[in-house]
Amino acid sequence: MDIQEVIKEQVTTHPVVLYMKGTPQFPQCGFSATAAQILKVCGVKPFSVNILEDAAMRQGIKDFANWPTIPQLYIRGQFVGGCDIMKEMYQSGELQKLLEGLAE
Amino acid sequence: MVYPEDIKNHIAQGMVCTHLQVDGDGRHFQALVVSAEFAGLSRVQRHQRVYAVLGAQMRDELVHAFSMTTLTPEEWQVKNG
Repeated sequence: MDIQEVIKEQVTTHPVVLYMKGTPQFPQCGFSATAAQILKVCGVKPFSVNILEDAAMRQGIKDFANWPTIPQLYIRGQFVGGCDIMKEMYQSGELQKLLEGLAE
Repeated sequence: MVYPEDIKNHIAQGMVCTHLQVDGDGRHFQALVVSAEFAGLSRVQRHQRVYAVLGAQMRDELVHAFSMTTLTPEEWQVKNG
């Protein structure tokens, strides 16, 4: 399957998907760590994809959303943003609203 | 090695900014971009606009991290009011 199709399937199959460097338990970049932490505080367990494990995915995810940086958050199939946007949306309460009903 | 000044010049050449500040250590950068072009755009669209201007500058091996705040002149004024 084409990497773009793989990503499309991931973001539509799982309600919350976080593409990051490392894993929520062992993030390998400060920004990915922050993104994972924000979701944790929101009580949401994302389907997380470690892009460091797959070179095709690492490039593919940047093309998918026309977004050159990691992490990337998708909620219900929609690209929400990277770490800066997640922080802003968490502080304003928008992120919690988007995640309503998805907490464990 | 990418200098904050390079990034700043790139952004300034690609879009009209009323305020532009870029700091960084050569691998990690923070940018504050204030532009009337952002009016009516979502946060994602604003960042995409800046990324589009930066283009190949954003390659992984050059830039490890790029953090940005994107505001319209009005929003910037409120923030600094």
